[in-house]
Amino acid sequence: MDFSSIPLLTITTFLPIVGALVVMVLRPKKTETAYGIGIAITALTLLFTILIWVRGFGPGLSQIEEFSWIPSIGIAYRLGIDGISFPLVLLTALLFLSALIFSAKIKENANIFIQLVLMLETACLGVFLSLDLFLFYVFFEITLVGMYFVIAKWGHEHRKKAALTFFIYTLVGSLFLLLAFLALYLFSDPNTFDMRQLIANPTLTGLAATLTFWGLFIAFAIKTPLFPFHTWLPLAHTEAPAAGSAILAGVLLKLGTYGFIRFPLLMTPDAFREFAPYVIIIAVFTALYGAFVALAQTDIKRMVAYTSVNHMGYLVFGVAIAAVTTTSSGMIALDGAVLQMISHGVVTGVLFLLIGALQDRTQTRDMAEMNGLLKAYPILGWLFIVAAFASLGLPGLAHFPAEFQIFLGGFDVYPVAVGIIIIGLPLTAALYLRAIQKVFLGTLPEGFSGVSDLNQRELWAIVPLIAVTVIIGVYPNSLLSLIHATTNFFGL
Amino acid sequence: MATDLLNILPQLIVLVTAVVVLCLEMARRPLAGLWFLIVGMAATTGVAVDMLGTETTAFSTTFRVDALSLWAAVMLSPATILFALLARAELKGQAREGTVYSLLVFATLGAMILAGSGDVMFIVLGILIGTLAGMAMAAHPRNDSSSEGAMKYFIYGSVAGAIMLFGLTYWVGLTGTTLLSELNNPYLSPFIVMFGFITLLAGIGYAASLFPFHFWTPDTFEGAPVSVAAYLSVVPKVGALFALAQVVRGLPVSVVDWPLILSVLAVLSMTFGNVVALWQDNVIRLLAYSTIAQSGYFLLGVIGMGQSGLAVDSLVVFGIAYAVMNTGAFAITLAEGTQLADFKGMGRRRPWQAVGMTIFLFSLVGMPPLAGFAGKFLLFGTAIESGYSWLAVIAILNSAISLAVYMRIVVPMFFEEDKEEQVEPYAPGISFVWISTFILTVVVGIGVQWFLT
Repeated sequence: MDFSSIPLLTITTFLPIVGALVVMVLRPKKTETAYGIGIAITALTLLFTILIWVRGFGPGLSQIEEFSWIPSIGIAYRLGIDGISFPLVLLTALLFLSALIFSAKIKENANIFIQLVLMLETACLGVFLSLDLFLFYVFFEITLVGMYFVIAKWGHEHRKKAALTFFIYTLVGSLFLLLAFLALYLFSDPNTFDMRQLIANPTLTGLAATLTFWGLFIAFAIKTPLFPFHTWLPLAHTEAPAAGSAILAGVLLKLGTYGFIRFPLLMTPDAFREFAPYVIIIAVFTALYGAFVALAQTDIKRMVAYTSVNHMGYLVFGVAIAAVTTTSSGMIALDGAVLQMISHGVVTGVLFLLIGALQDRTQTRDMAEMNGLLKAYPILGWLFIVAAFASLGLPGLAHFPAEFQIFLGGFDVYPVAVGIIIIGLPLTAALYLRAIQKVFLGTLPEGFSGVSDLNQRELWAIVPLIAVTVIIGVYPNSLLSLIHATTNFFGL
Repeated sequence: MATDLLNILPQLIVLVTAVVVLCLEMARRPLAGLWFLIVGMAATTGVAVDMLGTETTAFSTTFRVDALSLWAAVMLSPATILFALLARAELKGQAREGTVYSLLVFATLGAMILAGSGDVMFIVLGILIGTLAGMAMAAHPRNDSSSEGAMKYFIYGSVAGAIMLFGLTYWVGLTGTTLLSELNNPYLSPFIVMFGFITLLAGIGYAASLFPFHFWTPDTFEGAPVSVAAYLSVVPKVGALFALAQVVRGLPVSVVDWPLILSVLAVLSMTFGNVVALWQDNVIRLLAYSTIAQSGYFLLGVIGMGQSGLAVDSLVVFGIAYAVMNTGAFAITLAEGTQLADFKGMGRRRPWQAVGMTIFLFSLVGMPPLAGFAGKFLLFGTAIESGYSWLAVIAILNSAISLAVYMRIVVPMFFEEDKEEQVEPYAPGISFVWISTFILTVVVGIGVQWFLT
């Protein structure tokens, strides 16, 4: 068979769920076997993602795979990829592999855990690859179910409450998404759920466009999350198991930000332009609010969760800048925003894994109860310091090029807003330095007897992510060239 | 005449089946009755499937053979088989077991007549057959709670039916005929048409458990055998709501603003059903309130009649989806027990059934890619296309509340431990029902295309 005719996207998307079925059928008695299958499958998925890259794609949506599904109402199974979705697909494949390697310590109901994680991976890949509103929505909702069970079954103390809050809260969001999708369908001419058609010629105008825009906005603002829809996030992130938090922050939040770019920006561009000032105000407020609240936390996991709110504020700010202006500064900001998704996914993912490793050793997440741990766990400590520096935006690490571009693009259009939002940077620097000081510096308590430093399994999960952080920081163009080709193609 | 009879062949087969099953009960052969029911209903399904696509009327336009009435036959006949299997598992060996089979078929006949009504007399007839048969089935256990429930069902039915009959005489007086199609006249007196419509809603709202005509529902369901409660939650409801769709499709909006009236009822039903369900500890009562809420969702499709190209499709798909997912949920409740506490630790005890129940409940919420999602997707589309976007927003907020309702069953299944108890396999009838509805819940969700007209 010819390389170009293999349905790589479909294979990549459904490989994880096939793995889940394999685990379901074989029901391995030993957890090692089950994790072996799971890790092999996620590694294979990563390999297929790289094959997609090798095969190459143009700036527009390409490698299209299309099959008829519900022709009566214009629904089809449509997959495709471009420079905005591909980095996210790569991130998903990488982060799920790391998360699964890291969770291999979970022995309780391991088979079901692996099945859920694999189902979640299929759903996340499906969201990024879908080119049909209906298909997108199907995958989007399945992520909720998978994550609900991961938090509720394997989470920490308040897991049931956190899981239910997450589930109901984000369901409200996705139901608004459903309404907006139906509006996009009903107002398109001819009626279609094909995202390529809807992007190529956005037909919505007037009140319908306004309502659809706000429907999309609420849906993605809950998922991202933006103030005031963020309240589910700290609870869910804190209570989820480490791998769950890494996936939640690294991939699931990106469903929202990806949505902002794919739907409002491309399908209701005029309405977005009209309301962009409001979105910018919300984004600036979200960034600062996240930073300030993170500063007030004593629970280290909760603190990192709130820095996600801060980073998402920067990201949506970048998207809104792109909505306002069609000049090159808008494109610069948007490139930065897309790169920010990847940087945040990798950096926050690794931070949550490290905090999980820390919690396994100290049995607490309270920063006041930890001191001088760098001496006890030098590898863990130094990796955490690198990841924290990346998260606060140190040049040479992943967040810097992304945030730099967002602020650079924004400065041209809304210099005052950039002046305000940039206050977030010293705040996050302060909070990370304080956390490092409290937890890792200082003296170990008397008679400290801890378990050993990071073991082989944890290193296999964490080190590749740290390496990616450095690669993006040093050579951002590896991804930016792909991203820029696409943003340029859409003329954003 | 001969063509008329051919056109109502599905209904005739149901009638013959009901009578034969009754005769077999007189001969005290309940099992033979069950088998005849299965054969008869399967034959009805086959004939109705074959007739799909026909658009005609029978007996001087009093009975409509169209997408609604044929699909009602296609979905309700196999559903009746499933309910009969559940009833067999629950009532096996009891006295009067066979009468239940016969009554099931009679009530299905009522629902199928309703779904094709082209004449007010058919609506009255359909509701009467359904009520009488349903009441007798609900009273089957002959204990206090079942008698109370059946009595409520009967009295509400009589009063609602009488009010409806009274109001419909005004329609007949106004148009000089009992045909529904004669109402399609913009010069009719709005006040009288409105009066007739409101009284009609009393009768149909009662059969479909719409708020505020729903009061019998929780008590009757709780007292009745679980299989009968399952039946009452599906078959009469689909029949009554399809009848409502038949009425409004020819009713000019300029004479009476029926979409607005129905949308108010939809909001009340959905919100009341979901909110009150939050407080129930008895699974049957919880499902009873959920059925009130689901009736509200159905109305979104009825509102689109004549205004949205998706209306009939949405009613058919949601009807099928509702029938399969609700039957599945009742089947597992029948096997597990009617208290929320009975579901504790089910995920460990019976993992497959627990997954099945979760799928049914998620489908009731409207999670893709399950059947309930396909139905709600079309219903919301219908509402938006008909200009009722605000109603779609309320329906969506209600879906979120309903998630909290159904999670009250899901949570104890997976996250609460129970003392280890002896695990007995399900009765074969129940296993057949839940497995087949489970498969259908997934298949209908993915293969919606097959059910679109």
